[in-house]
Amino acid sequence: MVRFLVRRLANYVVLLFVAVSFTYFVASYFMDPRSNYLSRHPIPPKASIDLSLTAANINDEDPLLGRYWRWLTNIVLHWNWGLSPDQDPVGAAVSGRIGASLQLVTLATILSIVVGVAIGVFTAIRQYRWQDRVLGGLATFFLVIPTAVLALFVVLGAIWINKGLGFRLFYVTGLHSYEGSQFGPWLLDFLQHLVLPTIVLTIISAVTYHLTQRTYLLDTMNADYVRTARAKGLPLNKAIRKHALRTSLIPTAVNVAFSIASVFTGAVITESVFAINGLGRYFVTTIQQNDINGAVCIAAFAGACTLAGALLADVVVAWLDPRVRLS
Amino acid sequence: MTDQILTTTGDHPDGTPPEGLVLPAGAGRLTPATEPVLSVRDLHVSFASEAGTVRAVRGVSFDLLPARTLGIVGESGSGKSVTSLSIMGLLDQNARVEGSIRLKGTELLGKTELEMSKHRGNDMAMVFQDPLSALTPVFSIGDQLAEALDLHQDLTRKQVRDRSVELLDLVGIPNPAERLKSFPHQFSGGMRQRVMIAIAIANDPDVIIADEPTTALDVTIQAQVLEVLKKAQRETGAAVVMITHDLGVVAGVADDVLVMYAGRPVEQAPVDELFARPAMPYTMGLLGAVPRPDRGENRRLVPIQGNPPSLVDLPVGCPFADRCPLVEDRCRTAEPPLAPVPGRVDQRAACVRVDEIVAEGLTFEDVYPVGEAAESGLDGVPREEREVVLEVTDLKKHFPLTKGGFLRRRAGTVKAVDGVTFDVRAGETLALVGESGSGKTTTLLEIMRLQAPQGGTVAVLGKNLAELARPERAALRRELQIVFQDPQSSMDPRLPVYDILAEPLKVHGWSRARTNERISELMRLVGLNPDHVDRFPTQFSGGQRQRIAIARALAVGPRLVVLDEPVSALDVSIQAGVINLLEDLQAQLGVAFLFVAHDLSVIRHISSRTAVMYLGQVVEQGDTEAVFTAPRHPYTQALLSAVPLPDPQLERQRRRVVLQGDLPSPAQEIVGCRFASRCPVRAALPADRRTLCDTVQPGLATGAVPGTDHGAACHYPLTSSAAEDVRVPSRA
Repeated sequence: MVRFLVRRLANYVVLLFVAVSFTYFVASYFMDPRSNYLSRHPIPPKASIDLSLTAANINDEDPLLGRYWRWLTNIVLHWNWGLSPDQDPVGAAVSGRIGASLQLVTLATILSIVVGVAIGVFTAIRQYRWQDRVLGGLATFFLVIPTAVLALFVVLGAIWINKGLGFRLFYVTGLHSYEGSQFGPWLLDFLQHLVLPTIVLTIISAVTYHLTQRTYLLDTMNADYVRTARAKGLPLNKAIRKHALRTSLIPTAVNVAFSIASVFTGAVITESVFAINGLGRYFVTTIQQNDINGAVCIAAFAGACTLAGALLADVVVAWLDPRVRLS
Repeated sequence: MTDQILTTTGDHPDGTPPEGLVLPAGAGRLTPATEPVLSVRDLHVSFASEAGTVRAVRGVSFDLLPARTLGIVGESGSGKSVTSLSIMGLLDQNARVEGSIRLKGTELLGKTELEMSKHRGNDMAMVFQDPLSALTPVFSIGDQLAEALDLHQDLTRKQVRDRSVELLDLVGIPNPAERLKSFPHQFSGGMRQRVMIAIAIANDPDVIIADEPTTALDVTIQAQVLEVLKKAQRETGAAVVMITHDLGVVAGVADDVLVMYAGRPVEQAPVDELFARPAMPYTMGLLGAVPRPDRGENRRLVPIQGNPPSLVDLPVGCPFADRCPLVEDRCRTAEPPLAPVPGRVDQRAACVRVDEIVAEGLTFEDVYPVGEAAESGLDGVPREEREVVLEVTDLKKHFPLTKGGFLRRRAGTVKAVDGVTFDVRAGETLALVGESGSGKTTTLLEIMRLQAPQGGTVAVLGKNLAELARPERAALRRELQIVFQDPQSSMDPRLPVYDILAEPLKVHGWSRARTNERISELMRLVGLNPDHVDRFPTQFSGGQRQRIAIARALAVGPRLVVLDEPVSALDVSIQAGVINLLEDLQAQLGVAFLFVAHDLSVIRHISSRTAVMYLGQVVEQGDTEAVFTAPRHPYTQALLSAVPLPDPQLERQRRRVVLQGDLPSPAQEIVGCRFASRCPVRAALPADRRTLCDTVQPGLATGAVPGTDHGAACHYPLTSSAAEDVRVPSRA
């Protein structure tokens, strides 16, 4: 098991290096930080543009391989991911936002998996009954409704509740507003901020887990081995829970593991609506501002998340399914 | 170490002669020896479907006494499985079950799921058809056995473990204590079915229902599993309901038989009575339609015309009337009840003409018109003078086994086909027979590829495939055609039959007018109405679809047709018609068949030559009669002795060579004889003579029997007197 993990990890490090280097070249080719300066009024003198671009190691007049080598050695030797066109360190900006994203998405991810899988199982066992039809209809509704619209409705509802109550129960922007140092009030304040975006994020990813888990369980619950379990003396519901559920969780586990990266960088719209400085918004900003180093740094982080997810998927699947041997 | 000869006679479990101890329902017998454990009365099951109400079971009644075996026989759709599932209460929720099912006096119908679950696995248990999917893949064997025990007994962990080891040992799983930790995928199909039997008998049930328990297994494994089932019955004293379509299996294990047709029991009798003197024309037809492994090829099979009726739209009167040669007008007015057959003890049949049948002693030869076989133009020509259509010499096909993710390494080789040599001559049928994994299908596909093989040579009509130019290869395609096992999946469901048959003709550049003419001719040739060419494959029955597949293969007039298990997906009564058709086509057209099958009865019937394959090699080859009557290789002998005979008396007399263990993995490196690990002959040899088997691979030695090309790949081939002992007995 340990040997397997080490070997996989080594494979992934190589894979990540190739992918990130490739991203660097592509980003350097397509992004043009010089245009940031050329669109200003008045246009700054070329020498000063070159100076700031060179300082950030993104000057298109320097040879690409030289820039790449400097960028790489900085990362390897100093864990320095470079500067944005505004001369801000990219590493600090990304790590700060990873923290914000982590606070935002952790609870929502866990909730959406638990709620989605639970509803999926509930509806699969009650296939074509009214519970299945109602929840299925609801899931389809949430699947087609744009996230921005859903988020705005949640915000409107929260404001309506706040008004009705006469005090601010839900905050609709940011993640924190408490500035003291006591844990209790800090947590309360954090939760007041967190509830609304969590509801939005939970709903949008729970519906996919609901619908896929329902399908997976329906596939396995008519399997011969469930009938065998019943023939042994397990009542139907127990036979499904014990024998069909575990096999049907295997594809869901893979889905969850691979969604880690998109959870971090994909909450752009929710972050925008609730004014949270997360990774998703930052990613969009770096691209808009021709921030080569910033975009590559995020791509590297997303790549690392994906591969961590893949590794996690391998381990979880091996644990769920003895047919998979890690050797 | 586990290999030994197990010779058994077909004695009944308790050693008593099989007298009709199972009470036919309602037959006013005198005091029975024991109370029935299971008693089914007037069971009706129907399902709602989009086409209407499917009346799957219509009035089944029987009593089952302790330690007895009731065989329920019928073709697909006859309602036998539905009957068993309704006893267990395992039917879908949309099934309507009426009547009465009493287990030890307790009425089961009307019980809730929770109440039923107290009975299931406890006083009644079930063994299902497909052992590969019947065990949960993610739990260990030990966990699955323990679950069955814990559900109905209050045992400590140690007791559960001890009992599990005991059960696995009972069903013949080597190293039971270690195997408890194994998962189902680490077992072969036969081993998994043993585990299923262990689970079924875990709580000493009173009734074991076995639903086609050996249908998915190879014949040598089937013999093993049936032995285990008998042993399990002996240990638990349970009554067994054996559901099967295989009349040979029934003859071997059942005390009494219930024949079902279109959801109704049509005949019920003690096993000897039923096979010796069937009283219902359907039963007669079934017995006449099944090919016999113990008889030569000259007897023509008797197919039952037509198809079973739809269960949604049953005709008034006897459901068998449309296929029955004895049909009269009164058959179509009311459905005959299952009534006692006059003058016979315990035999009941549902036929209005049963009095006549008994009085005149009619047998199926009298009832069913035996057709005349077509004359073949090649009949007088000796084999040596016929043209060689296909010549395969030392054919090899190895598959690499690889390991690793990005950098694949070779971890081993699967020698799927490893040095196969045979030839097929004009107008003859060569049967390739062997268990799954023996390399039959790979051999066929290598030939059909029409490319230079990995090793050895293949020559079609004298042309070596390795030396063919492209146009020659395309032309050769016309001479070589294939028919697959499942006609359903080998034809595009969106093409009408016309297009299916026209496709090969179009490829070979036939004109439209000639194509039209040819298609009508083909439809008539395979016994279908030429007006039906605009229908789609789904509008035909299974047997008719296989006829279309045969017509497609014959369309361009091939010299050799390769048939891969062409009748194994068909019911017995339909199968007989297709076999007859193949025989007639061969006689009329002089086409040669390369016939792959696992069913030895079919092979004995249809083929003139047989090659027995084991682990990628031909271990015995020769004229079918010689191979079947005087097998020289111990594997052939075991294979033949494992085939169940549809004759209860012969079944009881015969001695069986039950092979121990499973086919070794094809990836395993085997130095000596490939059969050595399971060979009963080698096991009986002194150690010094065994060395030869373990170190030297035997070649296919022909010429041992003077004047024939009968050969076996064995260092110590059986002499005919040794073969005499266990070979298929014959009543002739």
